Order: sequence, then C-alpha cells, then structure tokens
Amino acid sequence: MSDSLAPTKTKGYHSAKRKKTWALTSMVLPGAIWLVLLRYLPMFGIVLAFKDYQIYTRAPTLFHNIQHSEWVGLKNFKFLFTTTDSWIMIRNTIGYNALWIVLGIVIAVSFAVMLNELTNRFVAKTYQTLMFFPYFLSWVVASYFVQAFLDPTRGLISNIQSNLGMEVTSWYNDSKPWPVILTIANLWKNVGYSTVLYLAAIAGIDTTQYEAASIEGANKWQQVWHITIPNIRPMITILFIMNVGKIFNADFGLFYNVPMNSGPLFPTTQVVDTYVYRALMATSNPGMSTAASLLQNVVGFICLMGANTIIRKLDEESSLF
Amino acid sequence: MKRKLSVKKLLSAALILALLTTAFAGCGTKNKDVADKKVTPGPTEKTEDKKPEDEKSNQKEPDGKDTSKPVTLTWYLHGSNVTDDKEVLEKANEYLKEKINVTLKPIWGTWGDFDENVVLSIQGQDPVDIYFTCSWSADEYNSYARKGAWMRLDDPKNNLIEKYATDLWKQLPEVLIHGATIPGKDGMGVYAIPGYKDLATQNCWDLNMNLMKKYGYTEDDIKNTDYYGFGDILKTVKEGEGKNFYPLLVEAAVLERMVTNSIVVAGDSGTNNLLSYYIDPKDVAAEGSYGNKILSKFETDEYKKFAEKTREYFNAGYIDPAMGNPKQANDVRSAKQLTGEYLIGTQSYALGYEAQAGKERGIEVAMVPCTPPYVDTTSSQGAMMAVSSSSKNPERAVMFLNLLNTDPYLMTLLNYGVEGTHYKMEDNMVNFLDKRDDYVPWTNGMGNITLLPPQKEQGADFLDRFKKYYGAAKSIPILGYCFDSTPVETEMGSLSNVAAEYALSLDAGTIDPKQKLPEFIQKLKDNGIDKVVEAANKQLTDYLAKTK
Amino acid sequence: MARVETMPVSHTGKKRKARMNAVSLPTEVVIHIVLILFCLICVIPFIFVGIISFTSEESIREIGYSFLPNKLSLQAYRYVFDLGDQLWRSYFNSFYITIVGTFLSVLISALYSYALFRKDYKYRRFFTIFCFFTMLFGGGLAPTYMVCKNLLGLSDNYAALIVPTLLNPFNVIIMRTFFQTSIPLDLLDSAAIDGSGEYHTLFHIVLPISKPGIASISLLTSLAYWNEWFLSMLYIRDAKYFPLQYLLMRMQNQVDFLVKNSSKIGPEAAKIMRDLPQESLRMALVVLIVIPIAFAYPFFQRYIISGLTIGSIKG
Repeated sequence: MSDSLAPTKTKGYHSAKRKKTWALTSMVLPGAIWLVLLRYLPMFGIVLAFKDYQIYTRAPTLFHNIQHSEWVGLKNFKFLFTTTDSWIMIRNTIGYNALWIVLGIVIAVSFAVMLNELTNRFVAKTYQTLMFFPYFLSWVVASYFVQAFLDPTRGLISNIQSNLGMEVTSWYNDSKPWPVILTIANLWKNVGYSTVLYLAAIAGIDTTQYEAASIEGANKWQQVWHITIPNIRPMITILFIMNVGKIFNADFGLFYNVPMNSGPLFPTTQVVDTYVYRALMATSNPGMSTAASLLQNVVGFICLMGANTIIRKLDEESSLF
Repeated sequence: MKRKLSVKKLLSAALILALLTTAFAGCGTKNKDVADKKVTPGPTEKTEDKKPEDEKSNQKEPDGKDTSKPVTLTWYLHGSNVTDDKEVLEKANEYLKEKINVTLKPIWGTWGDFDENVVLSIQGQDPVDIYFTCSWSADEYNSYARKGAWMRLDDPKNNLIEKYATDLWKQLPEVLIHGATIPGKDGMGVYAIPGYKDLATQNCWDLNMNLMKKYGYTEDDIKNTDYYGFGDILKTVKEGEGKNFYPLLVEAAVLERMVTNSIVVAGDSGTNNLLSYYIDPKDVAAEGSYGNKILSKFETDEYKKFAEKTREYFNAGYIDPAMGNPKQANDVRSAKQLTGEYLIGTQSYALGYEAQAGKERGIEVAMVPCTPPYVDTTSSQGAMMAVSSSSKNPERAVMFLNLLNTDPYLMTLLNYGVEGTHYKMEDNMVNFLDKRDDYVPWTNGMGNITLLPPQKEQGADFLDRFKKYYGAAKSIPILGYCFDSTPVETEMGSLSNVAAEYALSLDAGTIDPKQKLPEFIQKLKDNGIDKVVEAANKQLTDYLAKTK
Repeated sequence: MARVETMPVSHTGKKRKARMNAVSLPTEVVIHIVLILFCLICVIPFIFVGIISFTSEESIREIGYSFLPNKLSLQAYRYVFDLGDQLWRSYFNSFYITIVGTFLSVLISALYSYALFRKDYKYRRFFTIFCFFTMLFGGGLAPTYMVCKNLLGLSDNYAALIVPTLLNPFNVIIMRTFFQTSIPLDLLDSAAIDGSGEYHTLFHIVLPISKPGIASISLLTSLAYWNEWFLSMLYIRDAKYFPLQYLLMRMQNQVDFLVKNSSKIGPEAAKIMRDLPQESLRMALVVLIVIPIAFAYPFFQRYIISGLTIGSIKG
C-alpha cells in the first residue's frame, strides 16, 4: 500500500481510514447500482446458451420461459465448430485482431507524439480534428466510399484501369487484396480515436520533467523515449489489455459492410461475428446467438487474464487490476 | 482473506437492497404515470393483474359473446406510415365500443423498425394482443406458431373461430384457409387470420417495350421462346445500345426460380434458399417433374444448366456485375428500373403492376408470365393477424378481427381514414386528400381489402379484376407446407454461410460454375445438406399425410 | 507566435529559443507531411459525402458517385425537411439526451474511477473486476430489454434513452488510467494532510488537473449519445421522444426495406418508391447528423490540446 497517511496507528488513524473507505464506497455506489441493475441482473439470460429456448403458450414472463426450457448441454455451440468454415473464421478473427492491436498502438502513439511535438498549436488542433473525422462515419457509409473506388463498372480505380487499357480488377470477387483493404479501413477509422486518448494522456504529463531533461541536455528523441512513452505506458497497456479481451470479437460493421457481404470474398472476410450473423438469419435461435457471444467472451476473458498477469509481473502499476 | 469475503458479501447484500428499493420506487412512479395519463400502455399495468387472471379463468368463460367488460386491445401492425391517428382512432373506438366494447390501441410498426422490434416484443412478453405476421417478416408465422407465440384459433378445446369469427371464416377463399392451416405448438390448425389480398405468385419477364420496338421485337418474341433462347435478342440490343448497357436486369434468385420452374420452399434458410420444389409450368396444380419431393437446389441438372447459361450471358456483358453483389443489387436494380435502362427484367407480379410501373418509368411496360398464377405457402401467408398467446383477451381480439374483416365501415375507416378529412368519394371511388399523408397504414397488411371501395387510380372495376385474377389462381400441391429447420439448426447455420458464399454469384453469373459449382456442392455436402433435405422430405410426407 | 510568451527559460533571442526544446526543423517538416497525408484521407470522404448529398438521383444513376456530378439537387434535403416539426423536435431530443446523458455519465464514471484509482481503497480490486467483468459478459438483448422495460419502466421517456448507456466500463477504466498518469500521488497525500475530504479532493484538486482526460471521455460519451439509435429502437414508440439519429435511421431503413422487399408488398411499394431520393438521401442523412456534433468537437478539444506540452512547455 502506498498509503502515506500519518503512520501512527492510533484510534484516529483507524476511524479516518474507515471514513475514507466509506467516502470512496459512496462514490462507487451509483455506478455499482447501475452495473447490478443493467448488467448483472440480465445475466440470467446466459443460461439460454445451454437451453432450447421455447416461448410457452400463455407463459407469463421471459424468466418463466427460460426456466421451463429444456437443457441441451453444448448443442447451441455446435454450429460454430461443425462447419468447414471454423478454421477460416477463427484464423481471420484472431489474425486481424492481433495485427490491428499492434498496428493501432504503434500508429496512434506515433501520431500522438508527433502532434505533441508540433510547434504551432493551431495546426496541431486542426490535424487532430481532421483525424477524428472518420470516427463520425458509420461503416455503412464508409462502405459506399470504398465502393466509389472499387465498383466494377463505375468505380474510380476501374475507370482508370479501363482508360489505360488494363484489365479491370474485379475487387468484389477476388479475396486476395482484402486483408490490406480491411486493414487500411480499420486504421483509417480508429486511429483518430485512440490518438485522442493518447494525446490526452500526454497532456496530463507533468511538464517539469521535460524542463529538467532539457536542461540536462537530453535531446528530443531521448525525451520521447524516457519521458513521454513511460508516462503514457499505463494508457498503452490498458488499451492493449482491453483489446486483447475482445480478440475473439470482430467489428461486424467493418467485415460485413465494407466487403459488401460479397460471397467470393469470404476466405479473407469471414469472421466469427459475420458467420454467426448469417447462421442466425437461417435459424433465429436466441440460444445459438447467446452461445456464440458467451464463447467469444470466455475466450476474450482468458486472453485478458493472461495478458493482465504478464503485465502485472512486468509492471504492476500499468495492469488492469 | 476470509474477512474480506464476508465484507464483500455484506456489500453485495447492500447493493441488492439498494437495487430493490430503486426498482420498487421505479414501479411506483410508473404506476402514478399510468394513473395520470391513461394513454401510455404501461407494462406494469399488465404485470400486476397477470397472476389472478390466467388461462383457466379464460377458458371457463361461457360460450357466446360476452362483451360486458370493457377491453383494450393492443394491435401491432407492419408497414405503416402514420403520424397522426387521433381522429381515426376517436371514430373507430367510438364504433368499436358500441359494437364489442373494445378500445383499440395500434402500434404503427414501420417497414424500417418492425422486424427488429417485433421479435423483442414477443420474447419480452410485451402486452400486445394482436400481431401482424406473415411468411417473410421476422415474426415468421410458421416458426412462431411452433414456438407457441400465437394462440391456436381453431383449438378443438376452445374454438375461437367457431365461436366468434364464423362470418369472417365463411368469406375467406379456400386457399387462404388451407395455407393458414399449419402444424404449430398446439397441433395442426390455424394460428392467424389470413388477410384477403393479392394471394398468388406469378413470375414474369418485365419487358421494356420502347426498347423492344426500337429493335423490331414484339412481346411474342419473348413468349415464343424461353431464357435459353434470349441470346439473339440480347445480343442485338447490347450491340445497339453500347458497352455500358446491360439488357438483362435480374433479381438473380428470382431469375433462377423463373428459369428452373422451382418455387420457394417456405421455412428454407433466410437469405439464400437451399431447397427447391419443382412445379409444372403448364399446370401448377399438378405434381412437378420430380413429384412431391424437395431437392437440394444446387445439385440438380436444372441448376447446372441455368448457371452455365447465365455465366455465358454475364460474360457477353448482358448482366450488370452489381447483380452479383448482395448489398448493391437492390439499389442498382431499382435505379435502372426507374430509368427504364433495361430490356428484359424479372418481376414477381401483382395485379396492375404493368400500368403502375409504366407510369413511373415513363415507358411502356409489358409482362410475359412464366407460369399461370399460383398459390403457395409463402403467398397465401402474405399478411396475417395472429392473436398473441400472452393476450389476456383472445376472445375479444378474435371478435375484433372478425368485425374488421367483415365490416366495410370499420375497414375503410382504419385503412383510408375519415371520409371528408382523409379522403372524399367521387363516382364511388376514393380520392385522397392532403391529410391522408399523415395517415397511411399498409393497406394490404391490414386484412380483407375486398371490403374497401376502389381508389381512383385503381379504377372502378378494380375489385372485379382482383377477384377474377386471384380467384383463378390455383394452389400448388404442397400449399401450406413449411419446412421446420429446428431439428437441423446446426447444419442450417453453417449451410446458410456456405450458400451466402456462392449462391448469388452463381445465380448472377459473376463466378464460373465450371470451377465453383462443384466446389460449392462439395461444401454443401460437407456441411450436411443431405441431412437437411432428408428432414424436409420427411416433414413433407408427414404433412401431406395429415392434410389428405 | 503565442507560445513565446509562455517561455519561462529565457527572453532573449526569442525565435531561436522557442525552438530550443522543439524537434529539428526537418523532422517537423516530415511530421507535417505524414499528418497532412493522413488527414487528407480522413477528410476527403466527408467532402465526398457532402457532394453526393447534393447530387441529383439521375446523375447518380448515370455516372455513379462522383466528385463532379452532372447535376446538383436539393431533393434529398427536401425529402428530409418534409418531416417538418418532427425534425426539430428530434434535434431537440438529441441535444437534450446528449447533454444530460454526457453530464450524468461522466459524473458517475468519474466518481467510480476515482475510487478505483485510489490504491489505498479497500475494495479497489473487487470493484475493478466488478466493473470490467461486465465489459465482457452480458445477458444478451432479450433479458436486458425485459429488465429495462418491465422492471425499470424505461419505455417512452427520456430516461430510456439515457440510463441504459449511463456507465461504460471501458470509460471507467480509461479514466482511471488518466488519473494514474496525471495525478501525482504526493498531491493526494498533501490534500489528505490538509484535511481535504475525498469529495473535496476529487472535485477541487483531481478533476481540474485531469481536464484533458475528462474532456476526451466526455467527447466519446457525447458522441455515443448523439449517435444513439439502438435504444430508441428498443424502448421508444412515441415519436415525441425520437432522437434525430433514430428518426433519420428509420427513414433510411424504410427506403432500404422497400427496395429489398418491393415484390412482397405489392404495387403500393412501387408507388412509395417512385420519388425516393434513394442514394443521395443516405448521404444527406449523414450530413445532417454529423454537422452538429462536429461543431461541438472543438469545445472538447480545447481542453485536450491546451494540456499539450507544445515544444515541451505546458501552456
């Protein structure tokens, strides 16, 4: 405990400590009540993953229905593993996520550091605002923009190709370029967002550190390495840990809309979320969707715990808990 | 450690206490709200008196129409565009109060929100008495009947139709009753009142006659050949109109059915069908080329032949590549239809379509049918009203549906609005006024449209034409059959992904069937298509045995 | 150059000194080039969306989406403005839930995360796990819907649009991290010695220092509230409470649905579709929804950037 309150263990110390605990608990309380009501209470729904959900005639409540639905064990999970797509979707989901977590951190941190080094504040402001713009757009709208380039008959690239007498690439029928397209799309949309977080973290750094370093003759690179990065390390690791917790969840909007749901692209665009979505279009069994998200979260949870344990060992300060 | 735990327990107990207090406080305020303004259908209203009045007391009610107790019916509709229903509801409720002591409370679901909301409404047990349902919305009639969401209306133990809706039942065409009779949770029976509307399917070639004439062709040139013989016509027009003109404007999945004479097997996978039932294009009431049997769509010779021809047309530049892209196809197709930028299109026909389409597109449109009009499960279940199994007043709900479908005054009022405000009568035809823009429910989605006076643009003889056209429609041999995919859910889940990968692209010719079709078939096999087809056929045999 | 005034080091040779602790000029040029390129990629789609929203449907049908349309048109906007009073009502609703929601949400999150930030808080670990666990596990849509609607009475009121997203575990954790990176621990100690209560410390000492963090969380929260349509879809039936995003979304869904299912609806559908500005509408809706929040952006950004150590000197 980094508790440096008056070290004399008197009665006053204990009561002060109790008072502090109460004060802090009362701060947590509104949020905790909210969590209980809106997150923990509905969790009874998780049992749906193991049930054959039925709506019963003249049944009074959802709760009653769940209670009276039959247990089916792991049957609801089966559709994720008996398919020939299993390997592809798991590979794609984890592969893209792993790549994007790393790229996301590297690029967003670099941008934040770059913005911080600009001497003209107005320009920095402008850049930062513009970077955040893609975050305003939904994937649906973004997909039309991508289409404006790739459309086989009216797209910009196709027009250029046909004007030059080249063969027009059939983008929506060829799965090979899509890992690159999706990566660009993802970075384009999300880098601005994480840059804001890193930038805000940099903004919180105590400036005297830089002054001292500068007086001691540290150059810019050394300052970045020895002051900026260590100071925002907690933010980097927290974002990293939380992203690892979502490693088995893919951004549905990106994988469904940007490739226009085009079948021939599935080898590189099929991820767990799109697979589940399409599967449920055919069956609409709430048990199966619950099962899928439960599995995704359990995998994420395990990865998160792993990441957190490792980071705790390296740097307790930065770990999640 | 132990002490820590116990404190945690204490803490959670405190939290739960706090939560309960809040919850009750919430309930309290809610009730006050309800008391203050009686308008909101507060959910707590229902929760409170749910227990005392359960199913048994309902069933004990004596036969005959007991309307002594005033009842409020909540009615969930689809496809509405209603922003101001005050005047209509005032009138309707005044009338209903007098007739069956009912106050109506419609929920005007729109095209945009119905599918998402209705499922939650059913699962969350919202206090709704009557739901719109059909074979193509999210609260699909057959599957929700099996899940027990709808009340069986002709239950031998409590036959609501016999008791309260004989008038309605008598005037429904036989095909609709047949189509509505399905195996549900409480046995083979009727789980919703079918709406009397355009009840037949007929797929047609949609011809741009302006362009046809420009190149010296007539309707007969299409009538006298088939898809496999379109080549020359398409070639001539493509050459004449240039590189960026695509003469064949198709909805790829519809095209496939038109060419192979297969129909949609109700209950088949959501977006891409896996199953086929073949009909006889000359006599739709007779058994098709494979008998009463369901086949795996993509493994038949018919399909192979179709896919190869389509690929040929695609390579020749007759089909827009956008038609093979699921997100683009609809947008591009409707845009090209509106500008008349096509020669031959595919269209699922409804009476009066060519006149309407011609007017909108500013061209002459002709329809060449591929088959006579027929009634299948999907079309006979096009728009229905189901009584929710959580309804506390199913008797009154059925009484209301009976009145709605037999009383021209009520039907017209709820559909067209108030005479003099929303419309006025001219030569016995309805002419809409400006106020109608605030009140546009979906006419075909409400019920018996033959009760309505014709609209001016439909013409005075609309009803005669309607009855003649739809009256002549014959039912296919497996009318009423709906595939229940629950026993093969796991397979359907992965198969629908496989189909999404190949089906549309093959139907539109954007990928090569020589290489991809065998790959597709192999993948279907690997994911258990045989099991699905077997289950479907077994169910079909059972169904036919039950009905005949 | 304003920053010169904040230079405490030396007052002679202003310009050169200003650069003293900044990056070298060539490096800065490279930084500019990289950032300008990225910003262009970010902004061009917006210009594109704007242009398409003013493009006539005929032009889209003829040449597709283009920076240089054949013909401009206000058709899409006219279609939206036909909504009349409902549109302004929805704008109001959106502002209302965004402002109230963001305030409450940030307040609750700040309280929660401050306690988690305090290393000497007894139940710190428990409440951390209690919070982040819900980030991963949830009951799913139907149970949440039932609890909200039936137990909490969140239906057809403003609370239904605010309460269900009041706390975001992600934001709580992020805010805790902001506190960790920007609050020196001795500050808390000295505050405690001065007899400052926890609430006083939080509101008068911690929050003022964490302005950049609070601002960025507020920005993300307000954006989430502004773009909220899912809750409206679930809990709102009365058009009186429709926020803008949902109103526009319904419009879009209606168009999409009609295009997709026209064959099932009968001739009526064709009639409705006739005058729909299908593709330009989509973009006009984006413009209408993005503009107000984009203007709110600098408000939050001020606090983030003002904390930046421009040329290493905090302003």
